[in-house]
This record gives sequence, C-alpha cells and structure tokens, in this order.
Amino acid sequence: MRKVVCRCEDLTEEEIVHAIELGYDDIESLKRYTGATTGPCQGKGCLMHVLRILSQKTGKSIDEIGITTQRPPVNPVPLYILASGEEK
Amino acid sequence: MKVAIIGAGIAGLATAYFLAKEGVKVKVFEQKFLLHGASGRNSGGLTAQFKDEELIKLALRSEELYEKLQSEIGFNFLLRRSGYLKLAKTKEELEEVEFQRRFGLKLKLLHAEEVGEIFPDINTNAFKFASYYPRGGVVFPWAVIWGLAKGCKDLGVEIHDFKKAEVVVENGKVKGVSAGEFHEAEVVVNSAGAWSKEINEKLGIKDERVIVKEEICVTESIRPYLDPYILHVSNGLFLSQSMRGEIVGGIVGKSNGGVGSSFDFLVRYAKLATNLVPKLKGLSILRQWAGVYDEGINGKPVMGFSKVQGLYQLNGFGRNGMSIALACAEKATKEILNAQLR
Repeated sequence: MRKVVCRCEDLTEEEIVHAIELGYDDIESLKRYTGATTGPCQGKGCLMHVLRILSQKTGKSIDEIGITTQRPPVNPVPLYILASGEEK
Repeated sequence: MKVAIIGAGIAGLATAYFLAKEGVKVKVFEQKFLLHGASGRNSGGLTAQFKDEELIKLALRSEELYEKLQSEIGFNFLLRRSGYLKLAKTKEELEEVEFQRRFGLKLKLLHAEEVGEIFPDINTNAFKFASYYPRGGVVFPWAVIWGLAKGCKDLGVEIHDFKKAEVVVENGKVKGVSAGEFHEAEVVVNSAGAWSKEINEKLGIKDERVIVKEEICVTESIRPYLDPYILHVSNGLFLSQSMRGEIVGGIVGKSNGGVGSSFDFLVRYAKLATNLVPKLKGLSILRQWAGVYDEGINGKPVMGFSKVQGLYQLNGFGRNGMSIALACAEKATKEILNAQLR
C-alpha cells in the first residue's frame, strides 16, 4: 500500500522515512531533500504529515521540530497580475 | 593536522573534501542547517564571463572540478551546460568580451535577433546585444551541497550542523573553535559567507566587504522550455529554468541588509520578466525568498591567511560562488597544506 504524503511532488511516507534515515532529520533539510512543501500547495496539504512522520521517527515533539519558514505568496499568483502592480 | 571549517556552504564543504582527501582531520561547523546560507538560496547560474583574469581562471577550473567531483563522489549535481546569456542595452556593457576571449572563452557576441534563434520566445526589443557563453549553464545548488556533504562524510569528515562556532585565539594564534564544546585545530577556515564578516570583526580583523541582499522567486514547474541562464546586465533581471522545471528568477541585489522577502520585488520582477519573455505571463509564482552574500573588494574573493595566525579566509564570493568556489577551495587546500609544511 502506498501512503502518499505530498501530492504535489508525489511523495510517499516511505520516501520521507528514507530521507530521515539518510540524515535529513531536521524539517528544513527534509523539506529540501524530498521536495515536500515546495510544490503548488506550498505545504498546505503535506507539512503536517511530514511533521508527524519526523516526530515519530526522531522522538522529538512538534514544538521542538518547528515548522519551515512560511514564504509568500499564500497562494500562487500569476505573473501578469503581479506585473500590473505599481512599483514603489 | 586538524582543520576546523566554519560554514558548510560550497566553499567550506569543498575545502573539507579536498583536505580530507589529503589525510587531514577536518570538522565542519554550520550555524544552521546545510543550505541555510547563500549556497542554498541562489539560482545556480554558472559562467566564466567575468571582467577579471583571476575570476575567469577560477571559473574555468571550477568547470573541470564539477565534472571531476560528480563522478568521484558519485552524486549527480544536476548540472546542465546549456549556455549563459548576458543581455545588454548597449555594446559598451559587453565590451569585456574581447578580454574574456583572451583566456580561451568561446563567446559569441550576438545581436538581439540572433538571440531569438537560441530562444525564440525572447522579446528582442528588451535588449540590443548579448554575450553568449555555450559552456555556461545551470546547476542545482542543493544537489551540489548534498553531494559535497556526502563526499565529506565518506572521507570521515565530521559535519556539525546547528552549531555556531567561535574562533578560539591565544597569543595571536588559532587554537581551535568553540561550538558548545572546544574543538582543537591548527587551522580555522572562515568560509561563513555573509556571516564571515562578523567572525572577523569579533577577532579585530578589519573587514571592508559589503553584505548584499538579493531576492528570488520560483514559478510552478513546466516542461523543458528555457535552455540558457539569462542575466540582463542593464536592469539586473536574471532567470533560468531549474532541472525541476520551475522558472527561477530574481533581480541582482543591493547592499541593504536583512533577509526578508518584499512584495515590491515581486512586482518589479514580474514586470521585467514578462517584458523579456512575454509567454511567462500565465505562470504563477509559488514562492519567494531572499538571501545575503558577501562581496569582496572589486568583486574578488578573499583568500589567504590573515593576521591571526592559522586563520584562513575563504569568503567574499559575491554572486559568483557557484561559478568559482570549487576552484577557490582547491587553491585554499594547497595553501593550507603548504603552510603546514613550513
């Protein structure tokens, strides 16, 4: 059975666990190595799952692990809309 | 010999790797996670189109080292030599071409229309001339760092992440570093990028380097579409397609400090990018971020031992770290080994 954790980047729980075992065992490194939270949803669908797996594997609490830096924009914005903005 | 390296970016890790190959005991200290600094935040452009002989030579040597290290370590850096395009509004902005050709760079000086043959969707009214370097291209900076870290670990190098290290000096001589606990070392390498200035100033070493902030953003992924890395020297716009398919781009930075992302940047970038490549209009920006880098005087890297005995400077790469740092690390390794022989 495949447990899909990140639909944007097509990542399974097994792949996340494998990356943690390789030593990418802090949330920022895990994000970058697996690509989780870097797709179109920017983590809205997967960050909590990744956190749970990392917490279970390392024994660290969610608070200890923390979350990835949340980067703008909240939702994807097309370039033509941004380009119509006013320059400071 | 024992060497402590502060900063696990491309320069620090490559130096650790080269030193370990020579049998040196190396420990690397990174204040945050690997990829936290400029090596993890840049857009991966690779070129040798510089205005200085030393930089050109370092870039050419780095080209060779990328090939060598990929196979030696057994890690794919996701490097694509699909050309580096410097665009400009005036020919004067590209007059460096003749100088660069003297060092064997096979450059093409093109008119805007000719660039349309390399990349048909480019707006040939957004610039007049271009310098095209076919050997340039794009590398995935994260893969370079993962690969170098793997190479280091395979050779027994200790990499301590989340460990902020301070140089320990006694009677003007390096004793090692303190990072929670003391680690003895005859040589300490300051390869902490934008943070290396702070390290120097703490030791009373005068450091005139400028810290620059640069912002970048990525779009959603699309099929392979844009081959060369593009830098518009007249307005600072740069963009390329990563091996993941995203269009990665930004605007050359200014020295104003901070690492925050700004909405103003997104607007400026969107205007410049869609003017240069109108078809990008419909693509969405997924994420933006900022990074800081340290620029040496006259754009040159800072390499060599400093007035604190045993402290080796390896910083000041500016925007050119991915293009030149491997060769700088090789040079640093030689100088550290030679100093030890004396």
